[in-house]
Amino acid sequence: MTADRPNAGEVVLGEFAVSSEPGNERTALALVEGALNGRLNGEQLDRLKTAVAEATMNAIEHGNRNQPELEVVVRVLSSATGVTVTITDLGGEHAPSGPIVAPDLDEKLAGLQSPRGWGLFLIRHMVDAMDVSVDGVEHTVRLVMHVDAPAAAQREGARGDG
Amino acid sequence: MMASNCEASVSQVRGLAVVALSGEVDGSAATVLGSAYDAAVRDEPTAVLLDFAAVDYINSTGIALIVSVLAKARSEGRRVVASGLSEHYRRIFDITRLSDFIQLYADVESAANGVIEGASA
Repeated sequence: MTADRPNAGEVVLGEFAVSSEPGNERTALALVEGALNGRLNGEQLDRLKTAVAEATMNAIEHGNRNQPELEVVVRVLSSATGVTVTITDLGGEHAPSGPIVAPDLDEKLAGLQSPRGWGLFLIRHMVDAMDVSVDGVEHTVRLVMHVDAPAAAQREGARGDG
Repeated sequence: MMASNCEASVSQVRGLAVVALSGEVDGSAATVLGSAYDAAVRDEPTAVLLDFAAVDYINSTGIALIVSVLAKARSEGRRVVASGLSEHYRRIFDITRLSDFIQLYADVESAANGVIEGASA
């Protein structure tokens, strides 16, 4: 699998693969957190981790259809303006890339909608930008978190001081 | 089926049925959460507290379980409140609108106080 290519100015902080078994999203988000090594603050990191978990769950379940022999490839990229995580499966087109209709909690509580269906909604609310691309069978979700430049410089300085 | 990393214990705090959850609230927690809720309402409390203080992970399938518990409680005329959510998961309760239906408290004690005060108001 070729996964997604970094854009100009992006540095790869980490690339790894998890087998397509339910629960492996937890492995993916731990690896992402390790690769970031403090690049994001706590609130941003929590949001990105939730988005990575949901996107990896979708890749495992809807992309690779829980086939353990198929891998989900996760890449962590850094640039001057932020952090990007790409999550690639081999399921081709399987997730909508357009506007996501918000789940209707009133309808769910009334039994008119399934209680499920929160994944894409959560992803969209957790990250600063998200897009989906399909290249043959490779389906890639790109999650972007912008880093506030002064805060990032302050963190870099603090690390340098330590 | 994936093994659950969620545990639950049931207790009463001043008449409030408390389901204290720990570990990971995801789809695999369905049996644990369902059984704990059933045990919590055995004495017909008017409110059930879900305490998330020892929960370190909630995903979309866990949110779906919480929606199911809330739907069941509402159909039984019971109120659901929650405590111990981190700032991050409070935000998720807000954007999913769960916090429109589930009053959030910092901890079990403040939840018990809040429910008692609400009942006597």
